[in-house]
Amino acid sequence: MEYFTTELLTLLFAALRSATPVLAVVLGEAMTQRSGVINLGVEGQMLLGAMTGFAVASVTGDPWLGVLAACFAGIALSMVHAILVLGCGANQIASGVAVLVLGSGLSAYYGTPFVGDKIDTLGNLNHTFVSDIPMLGQFLGPITPTVLITLLAIPAISIFLFRTRTGLRWRSTGESQDITRNLGHNPMHYQLAAIAFGGLMSGFAGAALAVDYTANWVEGMTAGRGLVAVGLVIVARWNPWYALPAALLFGASEALNLKLQSWGVNISPYLLATLPYMIPLSVLMLSYRGLRASGGGMPAGLRVVFQSAR
Amino acid sequence: MKKAIRTLLATSILAISVQAAAETKVGFIYVGPKSDYGYNYAQEQGRIYLEEHMDDVETVYFENIPENADVQRVMERMVRSGVEVVFPTSYGYLDHALKVAEKYPDVHFAHSGGLKTSDNLMTYFAEIDQAMYLAGVAAGLTTGTNQLGFIAAHPIPQVLRNINAFTRGAQSVNPEVTTSVIWTSSWSDPTREAEAAEALISGGADVLTGHVDSPINYVQVAERRGVYSVGYHADASQFAPKGWLVGAIWNWGPMMVNIVNSAKDGSWKSEHLRGDLLTEAAKLSDFGSAVSEEDQQTVLDRREAIMNEELQVWAGPVFGQDGKVIVKEGDTMTLEETEKMDFLVQGVQGRLK
Repeated sequence: MEYFTTELLTLLFAALRSATPVLAVVLGEAMTQRSGVINLGVEGQMLLGAMTGFAVASVTGDPWLGVLAACFAGIALSMVHAILVLGCGANQIASGVAVLVLGSGLSAYYGTPFVGDKIDTLGNLNHTFVSDIPMLGQFLGPITPTVLITLLAIPAISIFLFRTRTGLRWRSTGESQDITRNLGHNPMHYQLAAIAFGGLMSGFAGAALAVDYTANWVEGMTAGRGLVAVGLVIVARWNPWYALPAALLFGASEALNLKLQSWGVNISPYLLATLPYMIPLSVLMLSYRGLRASGGGMPAGLRVVFQSAR
Repeated sequence: MKKAIRTLLATSILAISVQAAAETKVGFIYVGPKSDYGYNYAQEQGRIYLEEHMDDVETVYFENIPENADVQRVMERMVRSGVEVVFPTSYGYLDHALKVAEKYPDVHFAHSGGLKTSDNLMTYFAEIDQAMYLAGVAAGLTTGTNQLGFIAAHPIPQVLRNINAFTRGAQSVNPEVTTSVIWTSSWSDPTREAEAAEALISGGADVLTGHVDSPINYVQVAERRGVYSVGYHADASQFAPKGWLVGAIWNWGPMMVNIVNSAKDGSWKSEHLRGDLLTEAAKLSDFGSAVSEEDQQTVLDRREAIMNEELQVWAGPVFGQDGKVIVKEGDTMTLEETEKMDFLVQGVQGRLK
């Protein structure tokens, strides 16, 4: 029994570790989409954030400066999307793909000199009071700061979105820009802030990967996790609280794939490798039965993006 | 889609030619970034060695070229720009290289790791599994839990050779040892490699090694969790000052110089050129402080035995995972057989497909 509990907790905390970067992107992208803008470029923003964070951590020797720089890099690249979409009225899907390509190219090019550098990590909760908690201490101890920050972002975002006036206008912009305009506000300001926030969170997610989790920079190291996050926004129904289970679902299937192999379970590794995609997809299909009419919480403004794609 | 983007980027931006007092132009093609601190990095070090040690050579390189028809176009472009010796360095480039080689009989091709040749295409590789066997000896002597962990990308012969050689090396000094394999299904996915390392360690493994692009990820996790690590491709000892045992690393430079020289002076042979511990194309890195003097000596004695052919890594009996005899006592696997390896040996835990 104790063995079982230990293994289950190991799996749960492994899931949380794997889920954190994805969760950060889901939160950011959900906020972006709540304003009626979709940004597929988050993958590129993550990569640029990861590279910048690692490079700054390597040069300055301070990993926290790296995290900060990663956030700014994410915002900077997201501004390309903002200029194209809000400034030039470009197609959001095309612009997002352009940002994705730009981010992966820039990070590969400027990241090359930093490959193989060794950086200090952000540390973890070991040797604090939580690591002394019986039973749970061994699992709580290795938790790193980016996990905590991302988890704390959930209530912060949801209070902002659902309990403040600005949050209300943010949401109304996503439903109908006319409403915001009729209330005497410029919807573009909200969309600009929403894109920037998405940039911040994806840059931070990049730092969570490169500065905190792996302490390593490798070209293309996000391996599609940013795009997975865009998909998980739908599973999370654009709700910051649901973002946690959605991201955990991905993290758990990723962890389970590796855990089952280490247990020596007699299932083909090729099949196991599909788990992180199959499980969230199945949940999406099951949970959306009967939700089709309502769109599952999709902001009405987003529908325009898909219907009038120029 | 992503591949198309990468190719576009690679061919348009990253084609960099390095100028020298030029006579012979030599071209290199890498499947991944040259800065991966792994397989491509090692080939790139060979190219740099070539530049430094031959006066009359100019090199060009392309990175991130996928193993499809794109690589044919890259090779054609190289040849038309005057490249006389082409190094297609990835396993999956072979058939494409053969096609281009047929079209340009005056150009020389040296493919890394293939098992086919033509008049103007030879292959080169190194038996790095010898070094992995020795690293396995060090791991077998060091482990306390008798559980080793191996993080592997894809089940291709080169990877299976390393898993099996590592395990056999460990078993040769410690028959109790088992190796757990986790497949990451990717040459480079740092997050998954780190998580695989965590899973192996929490499953009881206390020595980790792997065959993915870069050893940095699992070596760092091992160090953080206080277990030992064995590197592969490139020396990662600086990432594990406490737990680093030893690593199996490449050294392509001298071999590449010989190949280019043979193309220049007409002594070119269409052959399978294979380096080993003796020619130092595959080497054992320096030991970490975690390996005792006595154990280091044991490993070095074995190395001596491999170099003077007293010890063969693939001498029978070799047992499969299910205990069946694959190589009989007294037999030894040939080079062809090892380079087509499609099994895991007894003591390895993990499924092949």
